[in-house]
Amino acid sequence: MSSRETILARLRQNRPQGPALPDIHAVPFITFENKFDAFATLVRNLGGDAVQLQPGETVQDIVAQRWPQHGRVADLTATTPEQVTAPHDWHDVDIAIVPGELAVAESAAVWVSHSGNSQRALYFLTQKLVLVVPKDAIVDTMRDAYTRVSIREHGFGAFISGSSRTADIEQSLVMGAHGAMAALVIFV
Amino acid sequence: MKNDNINHAEAAAAFLQDREQARWHDSAIWWVRQKRDMQAKQLPEWEQLRSLAQQIKAHTLSKLDEYLEQFQRNAEQNGVTVHWASDADEHNRIVHGILAAGGVKKLVKSKSMLTEECGLNPYLEQRGIAVIDTDLGERIVQLRHEPPSHIVMPAIHLKKEQISELFHKELGTEAGNNDPTYLTHAARANLREHFLTADAGLTGVNFAIAETGGVVVCTNEGNADLGTALPPIHIASMGLEKIIPKQEHLGVFTRLLARSAIGSPITTYTSHFQQARPGGQMHIVIVDNGRSDILGNDDFYQSLRCIRCGACMNTCPVYRRSTGHSYSYIIPGPIGSTLGPSRDIKKHGSMAFACTTCGSCSNVCPVKINLHEQLILQRKRAFDAGTLKPAKKMGLLAMRFLTQHPSLLDAGGKLMRKVVPIVPQALTRHSAWSRPGRELPDMPAQSFKEMWQARKENKS
Repeated sequence: MSSRETILARLRQNRPQGPALPDIHAVPFITFENKFDAFATLVRNLGGDAVQLQPGETVQDIVAQRWPQHGRVADLTATTPEQVTAPHDWHDVDIAIVPGELAVAESAAVWVSHSGNSQRALYFLTQKLVLVVPKDAIVDTMRDAYTRVSIREHGFGAFISGSSRTADIEQSLVMGAHGAMAALVIFV
Repeated sequence: MKNDNINHAEAAAAFLQDREQARWHDSAIWWVRQKRDMQAKQLPEWEQLRSLAQQIKAHTLSKLDEYLEQFQRNAEQNGVTVHWASDADEHNRIVHGILAAGGVKKLVKSKSMLTEECGLNPYLEQRGIAVIDTDLGERIVQLRHEPPSHIVMPAIHLKKEQISELFHKELGTEAGNNDPTYLTHAARANLREHFLTADAGLTGVNFAIAETGGVVVCTNEGNADLGTALPPIHIASMGLEKIIPKQEHLGVFTRLLARSAIGSPITTYTSHFQQARPGGQMHIVIVDNGRSDILGNDDFYQSLRCIRCGACMNTCPVYRRSTGHSYSYIIPGPIGSTLGPSRDIKKHGSMAFACTTCGSCSNVCPVKINLHEQLILQRKRAFDAGTLKPAKKMGLLAMRFLTQHPSLLDAGGKLMRKVVPIVPQALTRHSAWSRPGRELPDMPAQSFKEMWQARKENKS
């Protein structure tokens, strides 16, 4: 017998009793009066920031104001975004501007899974990550989020909350572990 | 790999010699527990969330074979290759086979307690493959050639001065620069080179979703993402209990995991992998290694609900005062102290006694595992298996005899209360109660039973 068959047979034989699957939507979860405020307050504690686009302003204006001196920019929100063949081609990106589909107030997370991106490495190699999210696409909790998100990018999707961080040295929080050192969420 | 011969009490006593370090360890981890409490209190539904998680996992365990088969079908439909490993050795052989076929010279790994359990790193290194652990804490302990001391915070037993010295030697950082930001960014620069030059990436799995055939990996650092987005091969190693039935169930588990683990509402990255990056290949290795046996054990199968958050160790008064390195099994703390003895009671018997039976672990567990009850049952097995040191065994046998003869217990207690206060200190100095940091308690005039009886008589 293959290992697969042996393992499955033993699992079948050793089945414990168990309850039926619960309805996870039956329990009321927390809601926020002002979802943007909840999101913005939280993301600032997680090495990020959030702003709302004002009339007459563009995403590119905000990015340029925030980081006047910058290196290579990869803008996936542009009409004809740059394409790369190898993921390593993104290695020197300074600022990545990418569409976020949905934001979550309770966790400051943004769902990223963009059919127009060929290599997901961009989100993690970039030094600064700018997520552009429609202003009405913000939900209370992760439960709400999972009813709405789907994988649109070559077998990959991620919730990203703030910037890459670690506290592995004496529990001191340091921003910029391996991924982006800064994260900016712009609601448009 | 860990030395199986560690006796918890002896190793803990050695750790406690450095009082300052021990106090720091205790308070640093207690702070993580407090952050967890602050997060839990912000959600009115916290307890219901724990119940939902418990029910989903308990349901899944009752149909684990069906969900694993469904998971495999869906993963294969996504183009992923699924492998099954009965034990650690088969897991290592499968991983090596994939790497050898791909001509891999360098593997970047994100955190995976399963590969620690299987001893994957030495297996691959002996076969000429460079293995780079990329989680900062894991990298630190790898460079020190020691196992992680915590499942979420692998280097929590170290002070920044020790890490600075290590990085000076291994990465060429400035001598004496102990700044955590400086040290972290030095490791970032060094590991980025490894990410860009690796031939394959291996990740653990936090959740495997039967409905989609995808796996979810949660990190704060982004190392699992870089390690799979760059190299052309992604291997995900998972214990077979990581399955959840539906994607929507992540709406429960992602709310619990980071809050319980580190007191954060979520990890920076919650990444869903259903396929390799374009041009790459993805493999999933499903590992049993003793889990299907635990499933058949009425006393211990609930431990398979564990989502590896580490909340039980952060709250454990024994763990905080002894470090993970005092436990013989690779997973320390309350959850390790049931998983280890379940795997091999002869090797890990002492872990069952690394417990005050206070029950705090069971109270913080996000999937409500009856941890402290399991530890009491593991003690019985440790005793029956003959793993106890003679003095402890004799003590327990004497106690059993006394509790079976109440009048002897009363008489013995009375004698002790009279005799102990007049015994010269020179004689008590070497007893268990007189180790550094402990004082022999003052003997009360009456036993609890006598006080209780007196109280009852006064009332009536």
